[in-house]
Amino acid sequence: MDHQNHQMESDDARLDALFEAYHDACPDLEPGADFMPRLWQRIEARQGMSAVFGRLARNLATAALALSTLLGLAVSISGSRVALPSESYVEVLAEEHNSANLDFEPVRLTTAVEQR
Amino acid sequence: MLVDYELIRRARAGDGPAFNQLVTAYRKRILGTIARTIGRPEDVEDVGQEVFLRLYYSLDQLRSAEVFEPWLYRLTANAAYDYLRKRRRRMESRMADLSEQQVLLADAVAGEKIDRDEGQKKRIREAVDALLDRVSEEDRVLLTLKEVEGLSLKELGQIYHVKENALKVRLFRARQRVLKAFTGARNKAVGVSSLR
Repeated sequence: MDHQNHQMESDDARLDALFEAYHDACPDLEPGADFMPRLWQRIEARQGMSAVFGRLARNLATAALALSTLLGLAVSISGSRVALPSESYVEVLAEEHNSANLDFEPVRLTTAVEQR
Repeated sequence: MLVDYELIRRARAGDGPAFNQLVTAYRKRILGTIARTIGRPEDVEDVGQEVFLRLYYSLDQLRSAEVFEPWLYRLTANAAYDYLRKRRRRMESRMADLSEQQVLLADAVAGEKIDRDEGQKKRIREAVDALLDRVSEEDRVLLTLKEVEGLSLKELGQIYHVKENALKVRLFRARQRVLKAFTGARNKAVGVSSLR
């Protein structure tokens, strides 16, 4: 047990040493001479792209607004010409149901004795 | 702090030269952190550019100049994480096993048995990179910031907006996984070399 603990501690320490060596093997880097110009190019490219998307979104919104206005007009004009049924679907169903029930009135059977 | 609060306030207000000064002050440190987190020197500048690009577009969300450094580290951790995730997706088919040579070198370095020239430094980078590949990208970034960069739990708490206890648990688990890979691979390599 003691040996196992000792081994674990030793492995822990070795890993720490390895991380330290890794830190030394990767020192802070001096950026290339074109670091700032490239960064500003990327910033400007993204700004340009967002401007294009912004314009596209504005155009799409305008087109959608125009289309919905046109559709609204078309619906209101056609709505005034076509007479829509005044009854609701439920009312029509209820009426159908009542007339259907008539077919199932019980049939009264009379015997020959009663007839006499 | 490498700069004064006034410079940060000016950069936040959209002052271009102030932003330039801010980047110039921090870029070397941030590139170093990225290099140690992603383990690929050839991609460090690209990830660094991404960090400062995100900084430019998020400076207006910074609550106050006092929390600028944790904010910048948070952006750095996120950019490194995004890079590592993309890289893992690209290399999913490739096994990131430590070679026997890498393990023996890592072990020797840990025992401080060798002098470090450039070739050996490169191999140390590769060995640690392969070791850190055993944990998730989130844990890799967290572990590097703590173990390699030497950030305190308090600083990490400010960066991640997480309680210190939760960080402790997460770090412990990640470190145990790396340690297991390290000792497992070392024992295997020692076993193989003793057979010869």
